[in-house]
Amino acid sequence: MRARRLTGSLSCLVVLTLTAAGCGLSGGSDDGGATAGACKVDKGNVGSGKLTGDVKGTITFQTTNLKKDFGDFFNGVIADFEKAHAGAKVKWIDDPGDNTFTSRTVADAQACTMADVINVNAPTATALTKAGYLLDIGTKDPAASKPFVPSFWKTATFADAAGKSIHTTLPWYTGGVLLTYNKDLLAKADIDPAKPPTSIFGLFADYEKIAKASDGKYFATMANPIWRIPADFDQMGIKVLSSDGKSAVFGDDPRTTEWVEWMAKLYKEGAMPKDSLSSSNDPSTLYSQGKVAYGSTNPSFVRFVKQNSPSVYAKTAVGQQPYDDLGVASAGAPQYISVAATSKHAATALSFAEFLTNAENQTAWCKDPAVVIFPTTTESLNDPFFQNVTGTDPFSQARKLVADQLKTASTNQTNLSPAVQNAIVSQVQLAMQGKKSAADAVKDAQEKSNELLKQGS
Amino acid sequence: MTAQITNPVSGAEALTSTPGPAPSPPPSRLRRLARAALPGPAPGANGAAMYRRWWLPWLWTAPAVVCAVVFGVFPFLNTVLLSFTNAKPLGGAASFVGLDNYTRMLQDDDFWLATRNSILYAVIVVPLMVLLPLMLAVLVEKNLPGIGFFRSAFYTPVLASSVVVGLSWQWLLADDGLVNTWLEKAHLIKSAIPFLSDSWLILLSAMGLTLWKGLGWYMVFYLAALGNVPKELHEAAQMDGAGAVRRFFHITVPGVRTAMMLVGTLTGIGSLRVFTEIYMLGSSTGGPGGADRTLPFYIRDVGLDPITGNAGYGSAVSVALFALTLGLTLLAQRLTKEDES
Repeated sequence: MRARRLTGSLSCLVVLTLTAAGCGLSGGSDDGGATAGACKVDKGNVGSGKLTGDVKGTITFQTTNLKKDFGDFFNGVIADFEKAHAGAKVKWIDDPGDNTFTSRTVADAQACTMADVINVNAPTATALTKAGYLLDIGTKDPAASKPFVPSFWKTATFADAAGKSIHTTLPWYTGGVLLTYNKDLLAKADIDPAKPPTSIFGLFADYEKIAKASDGKYFATMANPIWRIPADFDQMGIKVLSSDGKSAVFGDDPRTTEWVEWMAKLYKEGAMPKDSLSSSNDPSTLYSQGKVAYGSTNPSFVRFVKQNSPSVYAKTAVGQQPYDDLGVASAGAPQYISVAATSKHAATALSFAEFLTNAENQTAWCKDPAVVIFPTTTESLNDPFFQNVTGTDPFSQARKLVADQLKTASTNQTNLSPAVQNAIVSQVQLAMQGKKSAADAVKDAQEKSNELLKQGS
Repeated sequence: MTAQITNPVSGAEALTSTPGPAPSPPPSRLRRLARAALPGPAPGANGAAMYRRWWLPWLWTAPAVVCAVVFGVFPFLNTVLLSFTNAKPLGGAASFVGLDNYTRMLQDDDFWLATRNSILYAVIVVPLMVLLPLMLAVLVEKNLPGIGFFRSAFYTPVLASSVVVGLSWQWLLADDGLVNTWLEKAHLIKSAIPFLSDSWLILLSAMGLTLWKGLGWYMVFYLAALGNVPKELHEAAQMDGAGAVRRFFHITVPGVRTAMMLVGTLTGIGSLRVFTEIYMLGSSTGGPGGADRTLPFYIRDVGLDPITGNAGYGSAVSVALFALTLGLTLLAQRLTKEDES
C-alpha cells in the first residue's frame, strides 16, 4: 500500500516537473496579449507607433561598474531628471560588469526583471534585440537620432528575430582607437616613431624589426590573437560575416590567410612573449615595465601609463592606428544605452535614456578628469574641450587625435559572439604554434564559426 | 478525576462519559491537523497510530523536498528534456529534434577532446587528492607547539579567491616567473618551460592548482577522521616494532577508509566539473587552440553563448557529463567494495 502511494507520489512529481519543463520550452502561453521575449508587456512597448504616456513612476537604471568612480555625476543627472519630471523616480543600480555580464543580463531579461534603462555592450545588445527584450527606440521615438553623430546612429542597430536591423540602442560613449608605442624601443629597431605605419601589415613589419633587434629582451606586442580579432580585420576592410550575419566569410579574403601567416611568423621569431599566446593579460603591465614596444590602442591606456609608470610615459608617443583599405579611422566599440521592452514605465525610461545621452550630459561626463571617453553627439564633439586641445604631452595628443577622427570615423564594428570569436582565435593559435598551416587554420576557423552561427540561428 | 481512577478508561472515553456542560462542537479541520502533527494521541487512535499517517513524514520533509525538486530534480529533468530540442539560451520557440543532438555529439571531435581532458583530470587529481591531504593531516595532527600556524597556512589557499589564485599561479608559471627563474638559476633548465603555452602543461598546471587549493579543505576532513582511529592500535603496533610508514598503511589508512571514500567521491565529481582553473591559466579559449577545454568549458561554448548558443546541444553534453560522473562514481564504489571483500 505504502509502496503504491510512494510510486503514485513520485509519478505525480515527475509528471508535474515534466509539465513545468514543457511549459518552459514553449516560451510562454499565447493569449493574444503583447509580449517581449517571454514576458507580457504593455501593448505600446512593442509593434509600430510612437510611444506615448506620462513621464512618471519609478524606473531602474543599470550601469556597468561606474558607481565607485562616478557616483556624484550620475546622482546629479538623476536628480536633474527627477527635478524636471515631477512624479518620476530613478533607482540606480550598478552591475560589476564581469565576464558573465551578458549571461546574467539575459537571465534577468528572461525572468522579466531586467532594469528599465540599461548600459549594454554590443554582444549583449545583439542577444537582447534578437530575443525582443529591448524597446525599438527608432520606432518608438523617431526623433531620437537627432543629437547623435550620423555614423554612430546609423550603426547603432541590431537584428531582431526576423533579421531586420532596428534601433534598440542609443550610442553613449566610445574609448577611441589609436596607436601607442615606446619611442626608445622603436628607435632601437630603426623605426621612425614619427612615421607610424599606415597598414596592418606595415605594422607587422615593424614588429618583425623589433623582434630582430630585441634578441628576446623585449617584445613588440602580445601574442593572444583575441586582442586583434575582429578589430584588425575591420581596420583592413576584411568582411568577417555575411550581410545577414548568418555565415562567416572572412576566410574568403586571401588577406586573412596572409594575416595569420604574419602572426605565426612573428610568434616564431619572438616578436611576442611565448607565454602570452592564450593569456588574458593585455599589454598594460609589460608595456609599463618597458618590456613591450606597442601598448593598448586607446587613450585611456595612455593615462594609465602616465599614472603608473612616469618613466615609460616619458618615452611614449601616439599615432594613428593603421586602417588600410577602410579609408578612415575606426571609432572603436561604443557603449550603448537601451530601454527594456518589459518596462512598466517605458515612457519614463525612454525619456531618461535620452536625457542621459543628450549632448549636455555627455559633454559633462567626458570632462570628468577621472575618465577618458569620447561622446557620440555632434554638439559634444564640437565642444572646445575636444576641439582646442593644446597640450603636447602624449595624453593630450591622444585625446586630440581621437576627437579629430571621431566625426568621420567608421563606426562599423563586427559584432562576434564570444563563442565565434574564441573559435577563430583558437585556430589562429594553432597556426601560431605551427600545429597547422595558416590556410588550414583559416579554413577550419570559418567552418567552426559557421557551425556555431548555424546552431544559433 | 475520581471517575478516571475508579473506572480506568481511555482519555477520550472519560471525556465523553463525564457528566458536565454541553458537549463541545466537532473539532475543526485545523485542529484535527494540529492533533495529528503534534505529539499526543489522535482522537480514536493510540500513540503508535499517529505515526502511521502517511503524509506526516512528507509534511516534515516538505521544505527539503521542495528545495530538491525546484533546484535539483526539475533542472535535471528540464536538461534531459532540452537535450532533445534545439532550444536557445534566450528562450523562444524550440522544437524537438529527437536524437540529433546526441548524434552530433558523438561525431564531434571537440566533444571527445573535452571528454578526454575531463577524464584525465579525474584520473590524475582524485588519487592525489585522496592521499596528499591525508598525509598532510597526519603531519599536523599532533599537538606540537606552533602547529596551529601550519594548519592555518595549509588551509589558507581554500580561503583565497579564485581570481587571486589564478593570477598568482600565472605569475609563478610565466616564462620569466618564479618557477622558471629558479630552475634556470639552479641550472636545471636552459630555456623556460612553457607552462602557459603548451596545452599539456596548462592542463597539468591546472591540476596542480586544483590540488593546491583543495589540500587544506580535505586535510580538515581527515583531521576529523583521524580522531576516530584508536590510539591503542598505534601504540600496540609500535610496541611490535612497526615503523611509521607501516603504521600509516596498516592502521591509519584502514581507519579513515570511509573518509577516503567520501573525499574520492567529492573530488571525482569536482574534477569532472572543473572550469575556473582552465579559464585562469588558458584564458577564454581554454588553452591554445581550445585544447585544454573540459566538458563544462565546452558546454559554456556551445550551449550558453547568448548569441550563438544552442541550449539543446549544451544540454545533451550536460547529460553526457552527468552519465560520466555517475559511471565513474559507481565504478569507484564497486572497486572499493571489491577491495574490501
